[in-house]
This record gives sequence, structure tokens and C-alpha cells, in this order.
Amino acid sequence: MFNKPVDLFGAAAFIAFMAVLPLIFPGNYLIGVLTVSVIYGIWAVSWDFMSGLTGRENFGHSLFIGVGAYTAGFLNTTLGVNGWWSLPAAMVMAVLFALLMGLPTLRLKGPYFALAMLSGAVIMQRLMLIFWEQTGGEEGINGLTPLIRNQLGFYYFALGVLVVTTALLMWLARSNWGLILRAIRGDEATCQAAGINVTYYKIASLMISAAFAGAGGAMYAHYQLQVSPQLFAVVTSITIITMVYVGGMATIYGPVGGAILLVLLTELLRNFGEWRLMIYSCTLIGILFFLPNGLIAPTWRRVRASLGAKE
Amino acid sequence: MSATLLEVRNLNKHFGGLHAVKNVGFDIVRGEVVGILGPNGAGKTTLYNLLTGFIPPDAGATIRFQGQNILGVAPHRIAGLGISRTFQLCRPFVGLSVLENVLVGALGAGGAKDAGNLDARARELLQRVGLGGKEAVPVEVLSYGDQRRLEIARALAARPALLLLDEPFAGLGSGEIDDLSRLIRQVHADEGLTVLLIEHKLREFMRLVDRVIALDFGEVIAEGLPEAIVKHPAVIEAYIGRDNTLDLGAGHAA
Repeated sequence: MFNKPVDLFGAAAFIAFMAVLPLIFPGNYLIGVLTVSVIYGIWAVSWDFMSGLTGRENFGHSLFIGVGAYTAGFLNTTLGVNGWWSLPAAMVMAVLFALLMGLPTLRLKGPYFALAMLSGAVIMQRLMLIFWEQTGGEEGINGLTPLIRNQLGFYYFALGVLVVTTALLMWLARSNWGLILRAIRGDEATCQAAGINVTYYKIASLMISAAFAGAGGAMYAHYQLQVSPQLFAVVTSITIITMVYVGGMATIYGPVGGAILLVLLTELLRNFGEWRLMIYSCTLIGILFFLPNGLIAPTWRRVRASLGAKE
Repeated sequence: MSATLLEVRNLNKHFGGLHAVKNVGFDIVRGEVVGILGPNGAGKTTLYNLLTGFIPPDAGATIRFQGQNILGVAPHRIAGLGISRTFQLCRPFVGLSVLENVLVGALGAGGAKDAGNLDARARELLQRVGLGGKEAVPVEVLSYGDQRRLEIARALAARPALLLLDEPFAGLGSGEIDDLSRLIRQVHADEGLTVLLIEHKLREFMRLVDRVIALDFGEVIAEGLPEAIVKHPAVIEAYIGRDNTLDLGAGHAA
């Protein structure tokens, strides 16, 4: 179903829309908001790949984001390495942390897994403060160099990374590999009885998820030009999970829309002052209450059905 | 190729103070259909969990499959060696379609190598178990009887040498039981598949199995032909005596 012309048309329309938006409404403010929304998109897609498909909801995704960002921070400032090395290095470090967190949490299920992963992120945030002499404490690390000096150029680069990440993870999710991840969500014991090495798939999917979250973290660091312990905050993970719910779990492309929608909504509500959070929360509750399968993916399914595409 | 497919010796399992499986030993010969009989709590499912590596037995046991020691081998590897099982309560892959359920069964056993044939084989298996036309149906909406059929299709997709069925008739109506018996017989006949099945109702057994191993309180109390088993004093005492019925279903033995 991935190769259907309708899907390719939808993807092309989305990319074109995102590419043209800053040209129609020029200004660094919008470019900044779009860049952040695209990076959140990478995080949401990477979360959905592991947690959406296997049903093991990771409430500590910010761990991998923070690790990726700090890797970029250390490499780029302390060690003075060229910023382009940040992305691959961040991916490698995030994968190592995925192993570190993934192995002891293998047998944990549901809320136990969620809490264990959340603790990982909280511990890292504390460690950043405890070892303030190395990490810069609350202040974090400043003075990273931008990857691309032109803001619009960096936005297009981020958009490109989002598109590649989404395409890759969608391809994996729709392969036999993704089918096995969804089977793990269905029943782990039956998977074992069917000869599937559940451990391998759990760890590997977490590593893949972490790698892209880490890359997004490094990009965010090179966008903000600084990193702080706030990157590990639980609220970041929860925001990402909300984006996935709004987009549509286990669809991979849905969370992209969810991320962009929620970042834009947050910005649109800036004028409402202290009512902002109230309106934002009510909108979210409304979406989750009336659209339990999310907003983006079900809407797209309806559009493609009306265009005559069959499942 | 040796005639013995599965060899079990000195199998014991304690759960705290409960001696769930006591010194169990038996051989399964290639091509047999063997029934494991026993009242609820006799240790039948525990025995399956031990055979398939889901729980480890107490020290000193021997489990050999096709001459190979499979003690301490991970469940997915045991499945890969050719032992497929079903569960007492159906445990399909929720959230997947009927066809996808069978595909996963084929993928696990190294089926990914001939990926092109997987789809065709899965569809053929569904046809065979009588689920043809329901390929795209979400598994959650299947009736219980259909879920049982699906479990068998999923287990067969891995091309096992030994099929372990855990109370395949539980929760089914008599018509469904007849259909399923026919299906089990048929896959046995078609592929020469060795089948081990757990049941605690004698009647279903009689028509299906070549040989019965009777368990009670985790111990093998009798072993032999179905006709002999129903007359075995230990079985009558352990089983029928408790049940307080004399309808052994012996009339169906033919």
C-alpha cells in the first residue's frame, strides 16, 4: 500500500506544502517555528516506530534526545569537532544508551516499562546537574556552531532529514520486520512459540528509535546553538507522545502531522496569554476523546478512500 | 532417522511447595498422534511449557528432540527446531489480520528466506483450516472456534515436525469439535505430522489418538492404547471416579 500513487502524491503534496510555506510567509519567526516542528516530527516518528508498533510505550524518549544533543555539544565545543560529525556521533551514542536502557527493561511491560524508561531520562537530567563542572550544569553548553548559517537552508535540511527518516521507518514498518513488531504487541508468548526472537526485535527496535531521536537531538542542539538539561525533561517525552496520539499511533506518517500541528497550535495560542495552556489542553482532550485513533492518519485514510485508493 | 522423535526422562517441576510434574518420562514416535490425558491441575500445560522451553524444569531432566538435547534452549529456538504449540486459551496476535497472524507464524521459523512463497502458503493454510475468505478480517472479531483453527494454521505455518495442541477442543460446540478433529486427522495424514494433544475430556480423545499418556497430580499413571486406558484402574480412580460418571466414551473408540 506504500507504493500506491495516492500515497506518493500525498507525501509529495506534504513536502511541497512545507517547502513553500516559508516562501509565501517570509520571516525568520515562521522559519524558526517550522524548524522546531520538523525536529519534533523526527522525534515523534522515531517514538512511534518502537512504541507505536510494539505497544511498549516509552516515557523516556527525551533521554535519547538529550544524549544526542549533549554529544553534539561536547564534540562541537569542548573537542572542537566539525558540526557535521554531530549527527552520526549522536546516533551512535543514542544507540549505546538504548542498549543500556533496553537490556534491563526487556521483561518489563506496560506502565513498568514506561516508568523505567522515564527514570532513565530523569537520572540523566540529574547527572547533568551533579557533574556541572563537565556539563555546565543548569547553563548547559553554549557556543555550538550552526550547521548551515542560512536559516532557511537549515530548515530545508531538517525537512529533508524528516522525510528520509519517515520514509525509511515506514518502509521498515510495512516490511515483515514491522509485522513482527506488531505481532509482539499482539502477544509475546505466541511470538516465542512461533519461533520469533522477541528479545532481538525489542532491543533492535529501541536502538533504531533511539538513533533517530539522537539525530534529532543533535539537530536541535545545532539549531539552538546550546544544550541544557531541560532537553531530558519528562515533559518533552510527554509532548512527543501526545503528538503521536494526535497523529495516529503505529502509522509512522501520522505523528509527523501531529507534531507539526501541535507546534503550530502552541505558537498560534501565544496571543491568548494565560488562557493558552487552557485552550491547548482542552483542544487535546477534545481530539483524544472524539478521535481515539488520532486526527491525522484517519483523516488521510478518508481522503485517500475518496480518491479511490483501496487498502 | 531414528523412530523416536521426542524423548523425555526424569522431568520434574516444583512451584514452591507444589510438585507440579513428577518424574515424567515418555517417548513419542515419529508419526504418532498421542493424547495427554488428565484432570484439571494434573500438570498437562506445565508439561507443555517445560517441553517448549517456556519454563525450566528442575535439575536432572532429559528432553531430546530428534536426538538433540533441547534442555535450556530458548523457546523461540525450540520452535525453530520444529516444535510448534498452541495455547489453552487462544492467544492470537491481536491487532493483526487473520492472514498476518499466519504470516508471522511462517516468518518466525526462518521463513523469511522464501518470502515470496510465504503469502501463498499462508493463504493455502487458511483455506485448509476452513478460514478461506477471512484473510483480511481482524483477528479480534473471529469466533472462538475460528480462533482455534487460526491457531492451528499459525502453528502449521512454521512447518513443524511436532505439533503440541493444548486443549484444542475447549470451549467448542460438538459440531466444531467434529470439524476440528477431522482437521487434525487430516493434517496428520497429509504431512505425516506427529501430534501431541492435551485433553481432559475422554470422548474427544478416543476418536483421534493412537496412544494415551494419562497424568494425575503431575505423575504418569498409565500409558497405552485408548481402549486400554479407559479400563485402567488408576485412570478410572483418578479421573472417572472423581468425575462420578461412567460414560467413558468407549463406544466412540471405533
